[in-house]
Amino acid sequence: MSPQTPPRPDLRPYFDELERFADGQMTPAEQEAFELRLEQEEDLADAHAAYEQLTADLRWAAGHDTLRLRLQALDERMNERGTALARVEQLNQRRQRRWTVLGTLGALLLLAVGAAAWYFTRPSPARPARSWEAYYQPDPGPVVTPALLHARPLLSEALDQYQSGHYPAALHSLGRVSPTSVGNDTLLYLRGLILLRQGQGNAAQLYLRRVSDENATSELTRRARYHLGMAYWQAKELAPALTELRAVAADSLNPYRASARRAVAAGVLEGK
Amino acid sequence: MSAPLAETLTQLRVGNQKFLIDFYQRSRHLFSRWAQRQHRLAPAQAHGLLQDTLLDFYDQVADGRITKMPDDLRAFIYGMAQQRLAAQVPAHVPLPAAEAGRRQRLLAQFNQLGADCQQVLTYFYFRGYHFEKMGGKMGFPNATVARLQKSACLRKLYELLK
Repeated sequence: MSPQTPPRPDLRPYFDELERFADGQMTPAEQEAFELRLEQEEDLADAHAAYEQLTADLRWAAGHDTLRLRLQALDERMNERGTALARVEQLNQRRQRRWTVLGTLGALLLLAVGAAAWYFTRPSPARPARSWEAYYQPDPGPVVTPALLHARPLLSEALDQYQSGHYPAALHSLGRVSPTSVGNDTLLYLRGLILLRQGQGNAAQLYLRRVSDENATSELTRRARYHLGMAYWQAKELAPALTELRAVAADSLNPYRASARRAVAAGVLEGK
Repeated sequence: MSAPLAETLTQLRVGNQKFLIDFYQRSRHLFSRWAQRQHRLAPAQAHGLLQDTLLDFYDQVADGRITKMPDDLRAFIYGMAQQRLAAQVPAHVPLPAAEAGRRQRLLAQFNQLGADCQQVLTYFYFRGYHFEKMGGKMGFPNATVARLQKSACLRKLYELLK
């Protein structure tokens, strides 16, 4: 490796002195004596020059190496920072994507809930109410006047209880009314009405049918037919209910004609 | 680059390398793009090339081949990098120079020394620390130990060179 480099003096014999001189470790007297020797001894002067060159080279080498290491460390730091930034960016993107998906899902869910709520709560002409109660026009019965109260106290009591919604009590009171004093038809009719309002459509049918069969033209019969139809409906017997209500709707003298027409026109009864 | 350019070279010569470190930090990304466009170098290779080029620049300033700060430093450094690529100098090997043989040998031997010796010699000859400060940095009990340590390391280096 060294053929091109000129032969260099061996520093070893002078190393101690040269180093102490260069590092300023000599006393002033020693330093003066050494400087004098440098002027006189050629070997020492050569060795000194070589030593100076060595330390100058060493200064350069140390600087070069320091710079190399610093650049490498900086490079690694910058790489790490770049990686970290990329990771943060990726995380942000992923989080943003997740929020977008969640937001979209939330919006869709909200929309679905809103649509369902609207669908089930809308007053729809396309889907008429299916319950008999939506079409039923109740008969409150005759008004309890002081005269009636005086003449037929038991019937008045039953009517009063019926009108205020106490159906079992009304049925009980009605049982005590004598058929001779009121009229069998009226009693049957009222019993049927009360049972119908109580939700016992099957039982109501028995009484109402008897009223409607007996005298086909009386006012009470006309009323009873309507309520009989409704009683069928309540008992989920749609075909006879439809027949009765159609008859009522066709009967111009029936006071419930409008209501029956409405129920027939809704077409709910023909559904099944 | 707050210091005037002429002063920067002087600073570099006495061991203040901040200017080159800053340059690297500022220019790494752009240099890498340039190297990729012009020479199809991967980013890691481009970073290595810029480091080697800055080390060349430092060497040339240190040994007096560059005496005047180039007007366009960026163009100068890019030119040096291009020369390096044209001459197909392998990575992490300094450019051949007139004086390089002796110095490169010394550098190689310097790297053979133990980490402590390299540090001690760097502190003394490059940073210019006195023995007391060096002792404090290296955890030596006193300045005399530091002086003996540095002396032993210098001898070891000299023996390796022989």
